[in-house]
Amino acid sequence: MAASVGRHLSVRLKRAQEPIALGAVGATLIVAALLPFVFLVVNLVRAPAEVSAGLALLGSREPWFVFLRSVASALVVALASVLVGVPLGLLLGSTDVRGRKAALVLHAFPMFLPPFLLALGWFYLFGRSGLWGGSEQTSDALFSLGGSVAVEALAFAPVVTSLMALALQGIDPSLVEAARVAARPGHVATRILLPLAWPAAALGAFVVFALSLSELGVPMFLRVRSYTAAVFARLGAVQYAPGEALVLTLPMLLISVALLVLERRLIGPGSFSVLGLRSAEKTVLPLGKWRPLATIIAWTGALATLLPFVGLAWRARTGFAALRDWIGTGPQNSIIPAAIAATLLTGIAVVVGRAIALRRPGATALDALTVLAFVTPAAVLGVGLIEVWNRPATQPIYGTLAIIVIGFVARYAVLPTRTFALAVARASAHFEESAAVEGAWFLRRLVRIVVPLHARAIVAAWLLAFVFCLRDLETTILFYPAGNAPLTVRIITLEANGPEPVVAALALVHASIVAAALVLGALAFRPRKAS
Amino acid sequence: MTTPISVERLAFRRGTQDILSEVSLSIDAAEVVALLGPSGSGKSTLLRMVLGLVAPDRGLVRLDGEVVSADGRILRPPEERGLAIVFQDLALWPHLTVRGNLAFGLAAKHLPADDQNEQISRVLQRVSLQGKQDRYPANLSGGERQRVAIARALVLEPRALLLDEPLSNLDVPLKHELLSLLKEILRERRVTTVYVTHDLREGMQLAKRFAVLEAGRISQAGTLDELLASPATAFVRALREDLDRGRAGTSV
Repeated sequence: MAASVGRHLSVRLKRAQEPIALGAVGATLIVAALLPFVFLVVNLVRAPAEVSAGLALLGSREPWFVFLRSVASALVVALASVLVGVPLGLLLGSTDVRGRKAALVLHAFPMFLPPFLLALGWFYLFGRSGLWGGSEQTSDALFSLGGSVAVEALAFAPVVTSLMALALQGIDPSLVEAARVAARPGHVATRILLPLAWPAAALGAFVVFALSLSELGVPMFLRVRSYTAAVFARLGAVQYAPGEALVLTLPMLLISVALLVLERRLIGPGSFSVLGLRSAEKTVLPLGKWRPLATIIAWTGALATLLPFVGLAWRARTGFAALRDWIGTGPQNSIIPAAIAATLLTGIAVVVGRAIALRRPGATALDALTVLAFVTPAAVLGVGLIEVWNRPATQPIYGTLAIIVIGFVARYAVLPTRTFALAVARASAHFEESAAVEGAWFLRRLVRIVVPLHARAIVAAWLLAFVFCLRDLETTILFYPAGNAPLTVRIITLEANGPEPVVAALALVHASIVAAALVLGALAFRPRKAS
Repeated sequence: MTTPISVERLAFRRGTQDILSEVSLSIDAAEVVALLGPSGSGKSTLLRMVLGLVAPDRGLVRLDGEVVSADGRILRPPEERGLAIVFQDLALWPHLTVRGNLAFGLAAKHLPADDQNEQISRVLQRVSLQGKQDRYPANLSGGERQRVAIARALVLEPRALLLDEPLSNLDVPLKHELLSLLKEILRERRVTTVYVTHDLREGMQLAKRFAVLEAGRISQAGTLDELLASPATAFVRALREDLDRGRAGTSV
């Protein structure tokens, strides 16, 4: 009798493996990403005195002016990124431009760095004492709203380029070849490739808009007033007014919800690109006599995004000697939380990403939550995280690097999750179904089939999460524990009052860490040689 | 009279693997040739060379006597070859309606809109798809999609039609129905056709002449009787045995 009950319980437990796993991962995401929103809303509703003061602030024109200007400049950045990224993605992703893979890798690299490092590089090129500048005009142009928009557009254009190139490479070659038989490459590009890849361009524009609206470092460095900076300023020592900061997040919260609705309506299902039987093969459009010109245009566009490194390298010449005195614990404060968060995020991605691809109950809600947390300006999420965790009982978390890990898990879950969901959606469902038919329960299928089958996607998901956590400034700057500033925070703090060559050298150290991570990832992706 | 399609001593290598070696084949005007061969034998690569999507490392491709590809170079790009293809996966553009799929090639030829509409209507009627022109591929049945792919190829009035295992994923009744349709259309239009398949019985429905491609080489070519009378390889023997079994099954 007892044995029978035990067997019965064991079977029930095995059947519940999948909902339990999804529930546990969902609970983690809810604690990390949803609670901050709940606390924000609850505290706004409670409306203590300081919130009332903040509401009075929203009654004046000033914050709305800055808010609308920030939204408008984010829109312009997104539009400019699309104008640069779509043609470049088309050239590098689907034509026979010479050295297109190398050009794409070089062009894409800056998107894994905090944009303010690139702003520093542009400053060392075109600032008053810059390598190629030295005039008031170039400096004034850089330190303006236009300069800020241009720097961000060049920093974020690789997001659109890369998404376009990936989408184009994922299109079934038969669709392209069927068109090539009947039409010239230009007609094929405009009538077949671009319409098929438009969800990628739309996703790119959407991501760039969200990143630009969250961007703190570039407007702060270029002395341009932005709404995110206004929220941040109210959490600093000089202008400390957390109630006002809380209320100022309200318009941005509305933008987040609008972005979420837009993503659900327009992009969500389309981000899984058009695949067919021959998706593993690649096909390129021959440019014929236009190939040399297209090669020059593509490489010029690709290298333009790398120009800031010339400025950084030039300014850093004398900075490396003093690096040891200034670097502190910045690198480990960046790498350790980023690695822990990336590992947690990859685990979440395997469970949630698979569930999204297989349309499991509850997965859509979790997907929406991760999108919401990513598109929400970091200042809003940061204020929410402070509301949740800054209390005596949770000081062991809030006072240590653990809060940074939580912040990363909240903000970046969408990136590895969507990466893994895409990989699962592209593979045949029969792999896992066959294992189920042979009696494997969820966890066994996950460990023995799903994980080995998608090992490369798991590496990609980890790497993407890791580099995005490394590049983060705008979330962590709000609540990093005292004495444990990550490298990005350390660089922007030193930029205000430290020696320029050292700041430039630190920026290059940061870029080198990211480059090393990407090279290690690329080595993991090397095609396997047949034995 | 010139030969619509001929390939001479074609060779193509990918890495260390020979995909095609010394492949020569001619197809006469209005002739239907079935290209048989096991998976991975190079059939699709040969078609893609004829289409101009891949350049041969060595050898020539001629269309109506004109050299269009030679020794690593594509001399005439695909869109200028006047050929049409139906792929195994059909490759219907999912973002275009049935009409959009058919109009794509006509628009690329700058045909006036009225002429486009007239040609599209005529071809859709021929494949019994009138009234479906505003549907997207996702909203069609498997058989209807197959008909759209055939219509898309025919609407261009190509000088030759290449069919790359277009019926391999269909159930038997649908396959028979579409084979009958194809047979009628090819007879009516007298269009030069290469029909790629690994199924001899399917090829027999449409073709009088057969070429067998194995490991990148033409191992045997001729009429059905010639193939069955003296099979040159184990693959052709297996085809004959399969055919014999089928006939025995039918007679029972």
